[in-house]
Amino acid sequence: MLKGTYKGLSKGMVILAILSMLSCKKDSMGSPDTEVPLHPVSLAVPANFPQPIPDAYNTLTEEGIALGRKLFYDKRLSASNTLSCASCHHQELAFSDGLALSNIGESRKDLHRHAPALINLAWMQNGFFWDGGSTNLESQAFAPLASEDEMHQNLYELEAELKAVPEYVAQFKKVFGRDINSADIVKAIAQFERTFISGNSRYDRYSRKETGATLSPDELKGLMLVNKHCKGCHAGELFTDDDYHNNGIDGDFSNDALEGLYKGRYRITYKPADLGKYKTPTLRNVMLTAPYMHDGRFATIGDVLTHYAGHVQVSPTTDALLYQDGGKPGIPLTADEKMAIITFLKSLTDESFISNTKLSNPNKQ
Amino acid sequence: MFTACTKNEAVAPETEGKATVTFDAIAGTSDFALNKEFTASGKTWNFTQLRYWVSNVVLVKASGEEFAVPNSFYLIEENNAAETNSTYIYPANKRENVELSGIPAGEYKGIKFSVGVNSKYNDNLSLQAGELSQLNGMTNVSWMWATSYIFSSLKGKVTEGANSKDLAVETGLNANYKSVSLNFPSNVKIGSSKSTTILLNADVTKVTDGVDIMTTPSIGAAQATAMATVAGNYSTKVFSVKSVN
Repeated sequence: MLKGTYKGLSKGMVILAILSMLSCKKDSMGSPDTEVPLHPVSLAVPANFPQPIPDAYNTLTEEGIALGRKLFYDKRLSASNTLSCASCHHQELAFSDGLALSNIGESRKDLHRHAPALINLAWMQNGFFWDGGSTNLESQAFAPLASEDEMHQNLYELEAELKAVPEYVAQFKKVFGRDINSADIVKAIAQFERTFISGNSRYDRYSRKETGATLSPDELKGLMLVNKHCKGCHAGELFTDDDYHNNGIDGDFSNDALEGLYKGRYRITYKPADLGKYKTPTLRNVMLTAPYMHDGRFATIGDVLTHYAGHVQVSPTTDALLYQDGGKPGIPLTADEKMAIITFLKSLTDESFISNTKLSNPNKQ
Repeated sequence: MFTACTKNEAVAPETEGKATVTFDAIAGTSDFALNKEFTASGKTWNFTQLRYWVSNVVLVKASGEEFAVPNSFYLIEENNAAETNSTYIYPANKRENVELSGIPAGEYKGIKFSVGVNSKYNDNLSLQAGELSQLNGMTNVSWMWATSYIFSSLKGKVTEGANSKDLAVETGLNANYKSVSLNFPSNVKIGSSKSTTILLNADVTKVTDGVDIMTTPSIGAAQATAMATVAGNYSTKVFSVKSVN
């Protein structure tokens, strides 16, 4: 049941949908010009996950997801036609890139932020980017597309380039019922991204009490430690609270450079309480998504634990959850405890996610 | 169409009407133009771009009843042609007229609109309404602030004595979405029997009122206080009604 990232509705429901199309064509999924009905998709939610909230303005369909998948892997989406979304979001690394700060963008300059892993995005309702600068996946896509240090794609040019491909013309018409335009480009990409569901790690099978699923004593010890020390932020089965925290990697946020880039979420909200805060990344697939933090400053998970154990810096916004050392900041951990935590984190790697052929490059099959 | 019996057969009832709203830019007492020097508040100004979104236009009846123009998002602009990172060039354009139709017949006493884009659309660039577009350079998709619309942009050069600065005054962000409310000098009839013209002035010299423009010639999200001042100016100082007829 969890093999696919999504599933269509049952046959009966599809027939019902077709019948209702016949009786009233205008009720089709936002595509009055198409004869063939689209196939609505409900995400395959792992049994141990909460239900995601569907996007109110971008209904998932098999056809929309397929179009988004093609676009995600299409290098036409960059100015020089050499970069796609997948250039910085590799499936084998849980859609991260393994680099602290990439410089493969059109300008060849180092970016200021670490490319985030793309995991369980359909559950993220509280902003995208490390500082939450985008409210939804759709708007988010315009930033890497247009940024001169990333894909630097002129949107007029992109529309023209895609309109030159008959298959795209037909697909956009089918999915959105109109000619290719940039709003629908990002909508399709967002649909595909919402199918990036990772919920089939060894931990998940253990959590769902599947037959034969076990964790070793060391892994169980690590799970206990994560529950005790880390779950305040890396909450629930998603292993993220979808919120923003100052985790004490810096203690001074007075640097005004780059329009507030070093001020964390403050740059977006202008609330002093948000200084130095960044989005909690999920711990899922964390062993695949090194390096760590919004700027990729920690090369290994060991470095991350060393930070939390003894190097948390104090400022007015340092998160209260980090004061775990008898009222002092920091999470005291013995060497054995760190090892147990790392052993557990490995059980969060989801091999079926990184090998899922429904998420891979459709042009390479 | 009026086949049903009515008692006032002699008088054809007024039906829906049209109105043209003109956002005529001025610089103090002069007519606004690009690439031309103006003197105001002891400084010399030379503008290369004036652009702003006008949204959610409401016409106010003499009775106080309001008619909200559906789907009303308009880009008002005067800008020079600008190069982009490709063979595409943003064309030079002057656009100051907005045509409104389907206005219920009646006496109207005022107009309301907002400068910018309301949060529903500002927060989701993939939603389309009116003239909203990601293609015309009036969105902010850089890392520098939230991915959202640029509400207004006034660019050019400002000179005071020997001191000359490049001017780039932009507003955006939901907190700076402000409305404008203007009363007509006298009530005007809108209906099918005549076309109505609402002539507004937009005084660019008021845009930066209260901002020390020589020290803050570039206003973006990082200049939050100055941006809020500019947004307030668009709301209360920049626009006035020249005439209605």
